[in-house]
Amino acid sequence: MKCADVQRVLPEVIENRQDGELEAHLKSCPACSELVSDLKLISSEARQLSASDEPAPRVWVRIAAELRAEGVIREPEAATPAPATTSRRSWSAWWLVPVAAALLAGASYIVTHKPAPQVAGQQGPAVTTPAAPASQPPATVAQAPAAKASSPQNAKNREVAEASSAEDQQFLSEVSQRAPGMRVTYENQLRSVNNYIRDAQAYLDQNPDDEDARQHLIEAYQQKAMLYQMALDHVQ
Amino acid sequence: MTDPKPGSITEAEAIERAKQGDEAAFEILYHLHKRRVYSLCLRMLSNPAQAEDLAQEAFLQLFRKISTFRGESAFSTWLHRMTVNVVLMQLRKKGLPLVSLEETLETEEETPKKELGAQDVKLTGSIDRLQLQRAIDRLPPGYKTVFVLHDVEGFEHNEIAELVGCSIGNSKSQLHKARLKLRDYLKFMRAEKAGNT
Ligand SMILES: [Zn+2]
Repeated sequence: MKCADVQRVLPEVIENRQDGELEAHLKSCPACSELVSDLKLISSEARQLSASDEPAPRVWVRIAAELRAEGVIREPEAATPAPATTSRRSWSAWWLVPVAAALLAGASYIVTHKPAPQVAGQQGPAVTTPAAPASQPPATVAQAPAAKASSPQNAKNREVAEASSAEDQQFLSEVSQRAPGMRVTYENQLRSVNNYIRDAQAYLDQNPDDEDARQHLIEAYQQKAMLYQMALDHVQ
Repeated sequence: MTDPKPGSITEAEAIERAKQGDEAAFEILYHLHKRRVYSLCLRMLSNPAQAEDLAQEAFLQLFRKISTFRGESAFSTWLHRMTVNVVLMQLRKKGLPLVSLEETLETEEETPKKELGAQDVKLTGSIDRLQLQRAIDRLPPGYKTVFVLHDVEGFEHNEIAELVGCSIGNSKSQLHKARLKLRDYLKFMRAEKAGNT
């Protein structure tokens, strides 16, 4: 067998075809031998690329929204909106987790400035009265001891939380208009993430020096920002 | 990162619950298979945004038909074939050849240059995974299809012939040419890297 013959039978070689003549040639020809082992290597390494990549979290959000809109996913209690602290949270919490990890960089900005990318209804300077927004169930944070929350940072955080509820309503009506089928999905997820923010804020109010608590709040806001972003991606 | 309670219910249970419209069940099925489906789309399209769209489409098509799914056939096989069909459909829509029309489409730039010393570079038993991904991205569409289906995803030539609509011999020769090209690309990348340092 010659090198040219190797080229001819090569497509079969990698398929584990045994060929005595070929084996003999490979033993005596470094070039062909190297070629064959390279091709085998490429083939075996390629197998590891299967399932190598993780899709972005928004892929599931879109699928779920579509399935719900089509009635493939059915709401167990369609008419009753879940109260503020139901098990919905545990459901949405995990898909938001990887999202939070990806957004650490923008987090401190979000906490000290604004929770969502869209700026609407900026509020005035630092001091605000903790009135529960009409659209939201009374926040646990509103009942947290006011004295503990006296640091400027925390006051500001609360201000941000309240400003955002008006934004949420605007956001949801936007979603309703552009993609009516998705309203329930985003409403549920928004409620979940708002609960998370509220819990994190309440805890931080009582433990103002707890860095982990601050981190939780940052992550909560990140998740919300990401939720907005997903919706933007989807309705456009 | 942890997927949602993967061990808590079996895939078969999730399928049964999904037939009742249970969102959590759909979610479990999604997370069990998302990487495989998305990676296949990404390898074939070499474009993350399009890969997301197609992964979404594949899952949607499957979930819509979940009530017709019979327990005896493997869910993953079903999903996998559906994904391939969605991807191939997309390639056809874009007018890309599923099977390469020989070398005619290739430009000079795509061929590694001998003067860079690529021919002297050896792969010597190791390939960087990212480089391999990039090399696959560079393959002409037809070669890419057969290579990804066979070497990455593990389809047999007769299955590929059926899916793509070509002969088995054609599938074999495309695969071989794809591997040869990848070898060239990889050597070229390695030579380039060596030249830069
Ligand atoms: Zn030889």
